[in-house]
Amino acid sequence: MADLLQGSLGHVVVVGGCGFLGHHIVQQLSHNVETRVSVLDLFTNRNRIDSPRISYYDCDITNLETVREIFAKTKPDVVIHTASPVFSGPQNELMYRVNVVGTDNLLKAAQEYGTRAFVYTSSASAIMGPVGTDIINADERWPVVYGDAQPEYYTTTKVLAEKAVLAANRTPATLLTCAIRPAGIFGEGDVQALPGMLTASRKGQSKFQLGPNNNLFDFTYVGNVAYAHLLAAVALMHTHKLSVAPLDSERVDGEAFFITNDQPVYFWDFARTVWREAGDKVAVDPSKIWILSTSLGLLIAGIMEWIFWIFGKTPNLDRSKVRFSAMSRYYSIDKAKKRLGYEPIVDIEEGIKRGMKDLLRREAEANAQKTDKKGQ
Amino acid sequence: MKSSEILYLLARPQELRSIIQWKLWHQPVHERDPTKESPELHKCFFYLDMTSRSFSAVIKELHPELLVPICIFYLILRGLDTIEDDMTIPLEEKVPLLENFVNILDQPGWTYSGNHEREKDRDLLVEFHYVITEFGKLKPAYRDIIRDITERMGAGMARYAQDKEHVVAGIQTIKDYEQYCHYVAGLVGEGLTRLFVEGKLANEMLMERPDLHESMGQLLQQVNIIRDIHEDFVDHRKFWPREIWSKHVDKFEDLLDPAHRAAALNCSSDMILNALRRAPDCIYYLAGIRDQSVFNFCAIPQSMAMATLSVCFRNPALFERNVKISKGEACQLMMESTQNLETVCGVFRRFARKIHQKNDPRDPNFLQISIACGKIEQFIEGIFPSQVPGATAVGQGATPEALEKKKAEEAESRWDMVYMMLAVLATLATVTLLMLGVAWLAGARFDLAFEQIKQGNFKIPAPAEAAKQVQEARGHGEL
Repeated sequence: MADLLQGSLGHVVVVGGCGFLGHHIVQQLSHNVETRVSVLDLFTNRNRIDSPRISYYDCDITNLETVREIFAKTKPDVVIHTASPVFSGPQNELMYRVNVVGTDNLLKAAQEYGTRAFVYTSSASAIMGPVGTDIINADERWPVVYGDAQPEYYTTTKVLAEKAVLAANRTPATLLTCAIRPAGIFGEGDVQALPGMLTASRKGQSKFQLGPNNNLFDFTYVGNVAYAHLLAAVALMHTHKLSVAPLDSERVDGEAFFITNDQPVYFWDFARTVWREAGDKVAVDPSKIWILSTSLGLLIAGIMEWIFWIFGKTPNLDRSKVRFSAMSRYYSIDKAKKRLGYEPIVDIEEGIKRGMKDLLRREAEANAQKTDKKGQ
Repeated sequence: MKSSEILYLLARPQELRSIIQWKLWHQPVHERDPTKESPELHKCFFYLDMTSRSFSAVIKELHPELLVPICIFYLILRGLDTIEDDMTIPLEEKVPLLENFVNILDQPGWTYSGNHEREKDRDLLVEFHYVITEFGKLKPAYRDIIRDITERMGAGMARYAQDKEHVVAGIQTIKDYEQYCHYVAGLVGEGLTRLFVEGKLANEMLMERPDLHESMGQLLQQVNIIRDIHEDFVDHRKFWPREIWSKHVDKFEDLLDPAHRAAALNCSSDMILNALRRAPDCIYYLAGIRDQSVFNFCAIPQSMAMATLSVCFRNPALFERNVKISKGEACQLMMESTQNLETVCGVFRRFARKIHQKNDPRDPNFLQISIACGKIEQFIEGIFPSQVPGATAVGQGATPEALEKKKAEEAESRWDMVYMMLAVLATLATVTLLMLGVAWLAGARFDLAFEQIKQGNFKIPAPAEAAKQVQEARGHGEL
């Protein structure tokens, strides 16, 4: 891949740089010969990129002293903070500690050690209400939903962190911050979107469709999200060079930006493309698809929840999944286009192909390991 | 009306209703006044009716400022087209005619009778002096615009007529294809836009976005080319570009071969995708029109084009006959296209969804078509948002009615659940009773079972022991 940056970003710390999104950011930064990268992650033994310009540090960001030590050593110009626990279950304590306390620690260190640009990976869910509430062409004017109004605690912690990051803008005057809110990330290294859909296909669930499939959805290729982070960092560094404060309509610092592939697609069309790449023959034949209305889907999911509840288990299909697959959820990214100069660099279909190639390879490796173990 | 048509409509009251409504209620925005027209202009309108079925009605309802200029513009282009289409005119005669057509406009009395006897619009050129006379009476600004477009279109047509490869082998690249559509339709879009703006009936911003009127022409022309694949093939014309069909079939002829129908359908999706991507531009263009009659004039063909795309999409009949939208549907579309932008956006969204619902995951362009349809919906949301900031935050932005509705829905779904459970229990009870009944009929002794349970014997007794117990219960032994 070519160098996407023009000029140097100096010394960049990528927090969570061994994670799904983080390692794509590190990858893109690695093509710029003038930029030095330090990766901070809880475990730095996965997704490593071998380059003399990249150093790896094991770091638990919930521990302020460790963070301070590394910042004292690296003195980064730019911090890109992508670290976040995987969205799953009600692990409230961990979510709060990583997203809120961890982000606060990073901000403190950035303020103390003279960081100039701080880019935070927020979430497009920040404006999302209860699952099933449509999001139709929403933009940054939509208010964030958190606290009592936000049914997902994970999202509340992301919003709190985003608020802290944006509040730290220009405090001190040499620190500029902004937040990127990506919607539905997928791609190589994906542990949620594509694997979830592949599992559904392997279990034969791909022959069902919930709802009439008129709901548009944003899915965003991880490489585009990574690219948006670089653009944001560049824009913040550029803002430093301005002799006067930027116009409100051009500002990047202190602002949040939705990032998508700018290609909203009908929810099940995305899934069917994934299933087509997985070689699923049933899911691509419209005559073999069972279409259940949303209300019937909710009823069945409700009964499943009851039955599984009796046996003390959680079903694969629950009502929130039904609502999720029947809701609209897409954004307008005009602000990012205008202020960051963002345009997706990889088409959604190409992104699915790349992501599935990687996922099928991982699946094959896992299967091979299983048979190896059986053979022993 | 043919009896088959009457039967068709009787079976579809919805369409019949649309036709009746259109005939009864449609009121033209403007009506031409034939009493004030010169005999030459009268002739021009006669030829307009003769040469155009779809356009004459909308042209005749145009704002008086542009009624005559657009009628004359149409007839001039039709004259040019009649020369280009006629394959019996030798090239050495045709090419200079096309190239010099612009000069003919300033030659009073010019007529042409070189067309083949069977050329349907031959008479227009035989009496072309009427058009030239009326052209001379137009405002100079309008004449300049019409001259400019005529000159460029004539030159383009002359180039294609001489291009042997194009005639024999058909259009090669997508670029050529779009270039061709530009000459026959994009230029018309430009001319009309300049006339609208000159007549102050459209926003002058439209002149700064030439890509928008180009898309208007491209969409209409591409839809014609897609729809006419069968007819054009019979006439030995190949407008579908090789760059597209060669991805799906080996030879152009295979498109029409039933043995390759699946590949041909995928090819038609590819063509439709190309046209569909123009739709958001067309909506944008329509937003720039200021006058109702001009809006109708522009919107009706666009709505028809979207409807045609949707009937052609994944329709095998496309390769067997001329696929058309029904008369009833056409009337409904005309009603919807003569109101306002929001209604027309509704038409675009309806057909985008119809296309998306017919989309097939095995089609190589499956996701791209989904994206193109999504883009149309998103573009419409950009103009007429259905959601306001805060709509996603329950308690913060939701209206009391919406909350009330949500509560009612939740209550309803809870009751659904209760009814469902009751139904399950009732079914179970019925089945249990039936089974018990059948067992009883077959001779089961429930009285004995009850007796045992009363005594606290829940275990199933061993057969021998059971027999003994039964005997004891009966009170006497058998030998």
